[in-house]
Amino acid sequence: MFSSETLTRLRYRYLPDHLIGEILTKRWIDNAVPFLALLVAVAVFGTLIPDFFSLTSLTDLGRQVAEFGLVVLGLSIVLMSGGIDLSVSSVFTLSVLLSLIGTNVQVWPVPLVLVAVLALGGACGAINGYLVGYLRLRAFLTTLVTLIIFRSIYDLLFLRMSTAIVAGFSDSPLLLFIGEGTVLGIPVSLLVALVIALAWHIVLSRMRPGWRLIAVGGARRSAYNAGIKVRRTVFFAYVWSGLLSSLAGFLFAARLGSTGADTGVGLEVAALTAAVLGGNSLGGGRGSVAKAAMGATLVLILTNGLTNLGVSGPVNSTILGAVLIAAVFVDMRWLRNRHKWLSKVYVSPAYLRLPPPPSAADAGSPYALNDKLRSVEIIGLGQIEGPEDVILDRDDNLYCGTRHGDIVRFFGPDHRRHEVFAHIGGHPLGMAFDRAGNLLVCIGGMGLYQIAPDKEVLKLTDETNRSLFSVVDDSRLRLADDLDVAPDGRIYFSEATIRYEQEDWAVDALESRGNGRMICYDPRNGSTHTEIHKLVFANGVCMASDGCSFLYAESWTCSVSRYWFDGPKKGRIERVLDNLPGYPDNINRASDGNYWLALLGMRTPALDLALTMPGFRRRMARRVAPDLWLYPNINTGCVVKFDESGRILDSLWDLGGANHPMITSMREHRGYLYLGGVSNNRIGRYKIPGADPNWSAQDAYWGAPS
Amino acid sequence: MIGALKRAYANFRGFDEAGSTVPMMDGPLKPNTLLDGGEILLSLPQVDNLVSTAGGLVCSSGAELLALNWPDRAMPLAVAQRRAFEAPITCLASDGGKGLAIGLDGRGLLIQGGRHDGRRIDALQDRPLNCPTAALFLDADTLVVANGSADNNAEAWKRDLMGRFASGSVWRIDLSTGPGAGAKMLARGLAFPCGIAAGDDGALLVSEAWRHQLIGLDPARGGQSKRLLGDLPAYPGRILHAADGGFWIALFAPRNQLVEFVLRETGYRRRMMERIDPAYWIAPSLAGGASYLEPIQGGARKKLNIMKPWAPTWSYGLVLRCDRAMRPVTSLHSRADGHVHGVTAIAEADGRLLIAAKGSGAIVGLTLSEGQA
Repeated sequence: MFSSETLTRLRYRYLPDHLIGEILTKRWIDNAVPFLALLVAVAVFGTLIPDFFSLTSLTDLGRQVAEFGLVVLGLSIVLMSGGIDLSVSSVFTLSVLLSLIGTNVQVWPVPLVLVAVLALGGACGAINGYLVGYLRLRAFLTTLVTLIIFRSIYDLLFLRMSTAIVAGFSDSPLLLFIGEGTVLGIPVSLLVALVIALAWHIVLSRMRPGWRLIAVGGARRSAYNAGIKVRRTVFFAYVWSGLLSSLAGFLFAARLGSTGADTGVGLEVAALTAAVLGGNSLGGGRGSVAKAAMGATLVLILTNGLTNLGVSGPVNSTILGAVLIAAVFVDMRWLRNRHKWLSKVYVSPAYLRLPPPPSAADAGSPYALNDKLRSVEIIGLGQIEGPEDVILDRDDNLYCGTRHGDIVRFFGPDHRRHEVFAHIGGHPLGMAFDRAGNLLVCIGGMGLYQIAPDKEVLKLTDETNRSLFSVVDDSRLRLADDLDVAPDGRIYFSEATIRYEQEDWAVDALESRGNGRMICYDPRNGSTHTEIHKLVFANGVCMASDGCSFLYAESWTCSVSRYWFDGPKKGRIERVLDNLPGYPDNINRASDGNYWLALLGMRTPALDLALTMPGFRRRMARRVAPDLWLYPNINTGCVVKFDESGRILDSLWDLGGANHPMITSMREHRGYLYLGGVSNNRIGRYKIPGADPNWSAQDAYWGAPS
Repeated sequence: MIGALKRAYANFRGFDEAGSTVPMMDGPLKPNTLLDGGEILLSLPQVDNLVSTAGGLVCSSGAELLALNWPDRAMPLAVAQRRAFEAPITCLASDGGKGLAIGLDGRGLLIQGGRHDGRRIDALQDRPLNCPTAALFLDADTLVVANGSADNNAEAWKRDLMGRFASGSVWRIDLSTGPGAGAKMLARGLAFPCGIAAGDDGALLVSEAWRHQLIGLDPARGGQSKRLLGDLPAYPGRILHAADGGFWIALFAPRNQLVEFVLRETGYRRRMMERIDPAYWIAPSLAGGASYLEPIQGGARKKLNIMKPWAPTWSYGLVLRCDRAMRPVTSLHSRADGHVHGVTAIAEADGRLLIAAKGSGAIVGLTLSEGQA
């Protein structure tokens, strides 16, 4: 029999809750509901209507989809620009009439008819565009008026020309081919529509004019401030709507060769229903060609299916109206609540069981409490904010990052004067010197950078290979954390988490899932690849003594492991430290051949227990404000020294956190230990009793300067 | 059944059904730093039960009873006399003369001095008086005592809160009759009553900590209760009838949304109570920051080595002043970064307000100007 805790563990191991949140971040998730509705509609009408899937019925549907889809696409373009175009139906009808006059009455060549029809549509669209775009009239009223006017023109002309149209006849084979021909079994008109749709898809998703259109619809003022010509963009949206509607009218005329008093009646409502049902937002700024196509198909299947089933026209219209209302409602709810749902489900805790922590209370423990760090010397108090890591060069200058995106250099030997060594823009985290004396820095949110001794900043890498099965694109580096350099120059650096930005790093503790990774940058060919996947907040990295392995810390599992990237044990991982009393951060070398390890905060029994109850943490993330969530206790930190066999040799504490509540890094240099903290405003300097006063990490890595 | 369905729906939608929100500290409860600005008159670990008697100020510290000397008002308090008892002292009440009722945790009530000197009350109608959290002499022969919880001793108050117990009771004891007789229950099923005061109209005012409210009991009408002040943002404890009318209320720990949330998370709460030392629970406390094993909340993380005053906290210092109708008038605070936390007792002496902060182990003196009182 499974215990409930075993069940919990298995459930959280094999059901990837976090994917729900990641899928919700994708833009294509807007299409999910219309797509499902389309599948349901096909399934329902496919079973109800006997020859739904027959070739003739599909071909016929294809031609209708082509004509209707072009109208919907035109309307969607206007919707995306933040407007609405109700006149699409009368432009369509006028175009049908003009086409028929051209082909049947005047007997113009077909290309001329097409040009004339497109010119008509463009002109109608330009009228709308001028009124709405340049004169800033309300789109809804304006296009309602033009809808009526264009329709009246049609009615007047239709009365005069109907006899002539019926009497006339076109024997153009081209017109016949457009109206009834197929290419490889696909109706010509559908092919034309598909090409246009593809072109518009590329324009909207990949090209500047499309982005500008969507920007104007999403935030008109911002678009204006960004330098986009808002009025012209709106104008052309209506022009395109008119052009696409008139093309649809031309195709309609080519197919049927006749028109009637009720041609195009109610088309604007059907097109609007289709556009909104597909997921194009009425508010503007959200939409795509795929949505328009899905909506058009869905509405056609619905109306045709209902007609086939013997539902009368008025009832059919009523149903369509109800669907429009429902689609508008869903659209509004979805837009308003999507980010709320996302923020609620994004944090998805995993199961993590830590053994009971070692006690630091008794004097015999290697973690025995002391106040050695309380009376450290303070460097740069109030002059820097957020020195996550500190490092010293051979001339005793001290470097640290700040949250303002600077790397600050304190001049040795007394570290009283300082300068901004380099401004990068992101918060610098881990630092290391390479053989040539370049400063290598991990920048949160930016990637791996190099600063030459002459202060020249160079980006080394900001992306790695994308994982095979990731939902979100994880190639971009989100939180490069700490690094070290192998003897051959390869740089190994950790990325703490791919799910959170730097400021939200502690939320990752709430998840305690393997969201981090270890990445290798090879300066010899400039390539970057992920070396180890699924690490739980990969943090400190430090080369081991053998030159072909490194030690790395995983904060939330409270462990330090060793990874061989070369040599006979290549690819192996061994645990070095397990069950630390706090959360490990940076690892650096000590002068006696051992390693310093910073504990950024301490484990608390309440959080340890919560880690075994992911459901509790998930509900907490949903119900309680983030500032009130349970967090790792990072108001007390400490520094421990350990050796490669995993023994703890020493520990240095600042109980109560008078100077160093949270220690994220420490660096030994010429007998002193320098302390940094990612949310502190000072650097500490602690005299290590009995340490080699001449030892520096640069010499230990790269040999003494010749 | 309907309640369960509502809870399930609320759980699904993720909103509260008005159970785990904490009232804002606003209006008369707007935070200030008046408590931190007070003068520390005495530093004494676990100081509690500060009471003004005819013979001077007395207070307790753990199991010790201390008489305090205050010859010069400009000088700090001095300890004149100490006496140890067999159990931690949970409450003190003066009869206005020499008599002093002393509550002993898990043992009952002991009367020292006065007419009933040496009298012990360890049970009330065969129920043990295990948690005497507050006592009040109505007259020299009539004592009202609150038994905070029938399930937990006063020291285990966190367990009583987090275990969602509500087994407290309030009793009236007629001392003039013989031992064992004369005890009458005024109210039961209370969620940790821990403060009693006499109202102006003869009613008894009782603070019911875990329900964050003050209730009025009418002894004349068989202990009928009514809510006088509710929805407090902290847990109310002792009540002092101010010399110039109105009341001082000591609120010993703040409410916290995370605690309210944990109170509804039965699974987590049960395991926490089974496996973890109460000092490290997600629970209110009298003083925080003693150990790094205490849990912290996101907003309580130090930034640039500063703890924000508005950080979420397990402990707080809060004294509330109410008028005669129990309407809040003003309040004295020691916020998250303050050092007068866990106020459990208040006394008045010479127009000064003396505040015993058990959490921080200090007696603080404040001279209040007209506008503040």
